[in-house]
Amino acid sequence: MTDVDHTFKVIIVPCSGIGKTYGTVSREAAYNVTEDLRPKDTRLVALSKLVLGDEEARSVVEGNPAITIDGCKLACATKMVQESGGRIAHDYAVLDVYRRYKQFKPQGIAELNEGGAQLAQALANEITQVVDELISGRGGEDNG
Amino acid sequence: MMDFLEFAIDKFTFRTATDRFYSDEGVWAKPENTHVRIGISDYLQQRNGDVAFAEIKPVGIAVAFGDELAVIETIKVNISLMSPVTGKVIEVNPTMETSPEAINQDPYGAGWLVVIEAAEWATNLKHLLDPQAYFAKIKLEADQEVNKE
Repeated sequence: MTDVDHTFKVIIVPCSGIGKTYGTVSREAAYNVTEDLRPKDTRLVALSKLVLGDEEARSVVEGNPAITIDGCKLACATKMVQESGGRIAHDYAVLDVYRRYKQFKPQGIAELNEGGAQLAQALANEITQVVDELISGRGGEDNG
Repeated sequence: MMDFLEFAIDKFTFRTATDRFYSDEGVWAKPENTHVRIGISDYLQQRNGDVAFAEIKPVGIAVAFGDELAVIETIKVNISLMSPVTGKVIEVNPTMETSPEAINQDPYGAGWLVVIEAAEWATNLKHLLDPQAYFAKIKLEADQEVNKE
């Protein structure tokens, strides 16, 4: 097992659906948050690692609040975090996000169209707000 | 209580309500006195995925059989739905504005689209399928697709 970073971070777990536009939006948003917007406060955990029972991934999820991003109603990301003993601070469904940003129609799979990229950005911005609240300790225990 | 004809393929079960009529494309029409309530079949909604938006012709608009009545955008496609009856739209399901997912959750109930004051119901009915005929049509279609795979 590799070293585990035990510093408090918000865990971001996106959909792993390959070949699905909404899955791609979820991952682009997750990359945006973890690599560009809040790299110090967040950590990306691949859903596949939780599915495979990876010890490090489970340990990280158990010890930190998680934000999940689901690409469809199967909600695999949310379910796997829960099954891994994690605490969901906020769960996003890309379809619900799209309903809030109707002007950003996502298309494409390997590469998103402009609407998809804008939707991913909008989602990343929303996630960033939740991350900031969690880091500052002001909320995020339950999003209802 | 609503009765259904149903068949299953893999993990999916497709239900056809037996108390209404259907267009070839899967728009149902349920007569209610002089009015006809309209929606889409369970088969049509499951084939096209989660609904993101439903844009429906407003109250007061007159539609003829075959005119576009609504456009539904799902995570997969945009579907143009043709009116199965001629008449005037007298009610639009307000749920469609805020929760169009009702189409997926309850296509024969809360997911209805509009109510039309039918002007030529007897004539329109000749062009619609009864539930048994629609069920046979979609089952054949689904079986053919499975056999292609």
